[in-house]
Amino acid sequence: MTIAMLGPEVSWYLAVSAFLFATGAFGVLVRRSPLIVLLSLEIMLNAGNLALIAFSRHHGRGDGQIFAISVMAIAASEVVVGLGLIVAMSRKRVALDVDKLNFLRG
Amino acid sequence: MIWGAWLCLASPLAAALLITLGGNALSRRGAGYLATFATFVAFIGAAISFFSLLSHDAGDRSHLSTGWTWIAGGSYHSGFSVLVDPLSTMMMLIVSGVGGLIIGYSIGYMDGDPEERRYFAYMALFVFSMLLLVQGGNLILLLAGWGMVGLSSYLLIGFWQERHSAIAAAKKAFVMNAVGDATMALAFFILIQKTGSLDFGDVFARQGFLGGWAINLIALGLLGGAVAKSAQLPLHTWLPDAMEGPTPVSALIHAATMVTAGVYLIVRTHPIFEQAPKIEDLAAGLGAATLVMAGLIALVQTDIKRVIAYSTMSQIGYMFLGAGLGAYANGMFHLMTHAFFKALLFMAAGIVIHALAGEQDMRNMGGLRELMPFTRWCFLIGSLALVGIFPFAGFFSKDSILAAAMDRGWYGYLLWVAGLAGTFLTGLYTFRMYFVVFGGQRSAFVREHFHHEGHGEGPFSMTSTVATLAGLAAIGGWIQWSPFWHPVTSWLEPVARPLVEPANWMEWTSSGTALALGLGGIWVAWLLYGARRPRPVPRVAPVESALVHKLYFDEAYDLAFYRPAMRLSLLLGRFFERPLIAGTGRELAEGSVDVGRGFSRLQTGLVRTYVLAIASSLAVIAVVFVAVR
Repeated sequence: MTIAMLGPEVSWYLAVSAFLFATGAFGVLVRRSPLIVLLSLEIMLNAGNLALIAFSRHHGRGDGQIFAISVMAIAASEVVVGLGLIVAMSRKRVALDVDKLNFLRG
Repeated sequence: MIWGAWLCLASPLAAALLITLGGNALSRRGAGYLATFATFVAFIGAAISFFSLLSHDAGDRSHLSTGWTWIAGGSYHSGFSVLVDPLSTMMMLIVSGVGGLIIGYSIGYMDGDPEERRYFAYMALFVFSMLLLVQGGNLILLLAGWGMVGLSSYLLIGFWQERHSAIAAAKKAFVMNAVGDATMALAFFILIQKTGSLDFGDVFARQGFLGGWAINLIALGLLGGAVAKSAQLPLHTWLPDAMEGPTPVSALIHAATMVTAGVYLIVRTHPIFEQAPKIEDLAAGLGAATLVMAGLIALVQTDIKRVIAYSTMSQIGYMFLGAGLGAYANGMFHLMTHAFFKALLFMAAGIVIHALAGEQDMRNMGGLRELMPFTRWCFLIGSLALVGIFPFAGFFSKDSILAAAMDRGWYGYLLWVAGLAGTFLTGLYTFRMYFVVFGGQRSAFVREHFHHEGHGEGPFSMTSTVATLAGLAAIGGWIQWSPFWHPVTSWLEPVARPLVEPANWMEWTSSGTALALGLGGIWVAWLLYGARRPRPVPRVAPVESALVHKLYFDEAYDLAFYRPAMRLSLLLGRFFERPLIAGTGRELAEGSVDVGRGFSRLQTGLVRTYVLAIASSLAVIAVVFVAVR
């Protein structure tokens, strides 16, 4: 309880988190380079982490932080896979442009 | 001893099943012997029933034995039961006795046919069906036997299934019979609705409560079934075509047993017919019309089996006449003698056909008198019995029907005249056939194709049965001579009391006139066909062509039923089935392809559109949640 009193209100953190999430989503939607898309995804994940930790502090309970740590771990592995795919694509001389990767088109 | 009746019923069925299941384990000859043996066992069973009934008093001669409950639905129950009474024992004796003789004859006639086993299985099945029909203890069982008789007739007419004409004839017989079955079933529905039962006892006890229209409808429905099965006007066209089957089939089904089922039905359900006198008169009238018409058509037929087939129609017309007038015993007596002499004629004709390498056209025959003396004499006995010449069987049975007609007012006299005209025609067409086939010079065809198989005129199995039947046709009628002794009438009296009692002078007048007219017919036939220098046959072209076309019944039915049905179905096919039923499926398929193509546009293949869709949907859901709270 006492820890929760320190620092700004939880809504400020949430606002920052929402801003970060929107930035990331915007990046995913508009950028064409898979690298940047991956980077924007990381920003969205971290926005989520920020919200988790903010609520964790607000409620004075640790489980949100543990959750954030596992998100980071998963994000790290996801980046490994994503970067590996991008490297493989560039080696196969596939254009690094998400708009051209439309094999799923009906 | 009711087990005699059960034995009678079960034995042919067992033979049919054994032959069917036995397959190649049974030799072809073995199948024939098995079927013959089983049918004679059935005859023994019938004889046991007959003698055990004889030992009872006249009032106590109706025994019903129920095996098990066969059909139960709601308040309606029907048992699988056999009825042993004078009428059914008489039919059992005729069916199994004549049937056994004919199946025995088939052993020789069908020898060498590649599918003898199938033939004998069908024959045994037929005998079983017919016995079920006559022994059934209620109307439902009677209808079951009725339908199965139709089925076996269909199978046997189409036995030579590689012949198109045989298949067509089988289908025709089945369809015509189905019309009768349908009217009969409708009559039974009314009976169930009105009386709640189809047991003979219940129905006959309660039919007094039926309304006038109901009883007339029921009688009409039953008459429809009887007319179809017995090939009477107007449902007769299948019988001549049914001659496509093997000759013993014609003898068994289309002369001796199945076609007489209609007469049996009328006699069995006579309490219903007696409540509907108009329908009874209609039955007698139809019989009279059929007997004259069939006699006329028989005059111009050239196929020996078809002549006998039309003669069968004509003779059943007499039975209908008798049964419709209420002279039940006389009708049944004629049924019995007819079974003897008509089976004899068919099987003697079968020997002729056999000896002439399958030829059935009488125009190619002639002069067989010396070549086949035995067959000739048997055929002559059969012919005399058919015409009703004293002292052969037909004389006793046919004339008493005519006498019964005289006891029925002006309508009866009308029928009497028709019956007498029929007698003359019978003499004419029967002896035309006899003189053409056996008399005259040997034709070129006979000199070329006639052949004896081994010694004698045929295998022993064929000649012995023909001889037996010749004996029966000669003396079988003596058991009843109406004015003097009448055991058949008194035997059937507990079941069907006759409505007419002709006086002695009527018997004498009928017998004398019929005999004279029959002899007159024979004399005319002799003048035209048999004499050393035959007179030219008087011909009237339009009449002859009408008779050759069987009075255009086939053409009329073709025009009235087949063509409109064909045209209607073509119309329905063009304007209903193809656009609506076939079209629906195609439209459904094309529609779903179109819908799929539309949805496939949503799949851009661009990840960002998917992400946008997911994100915007999430946003919408979030807003909705917030707003709802």
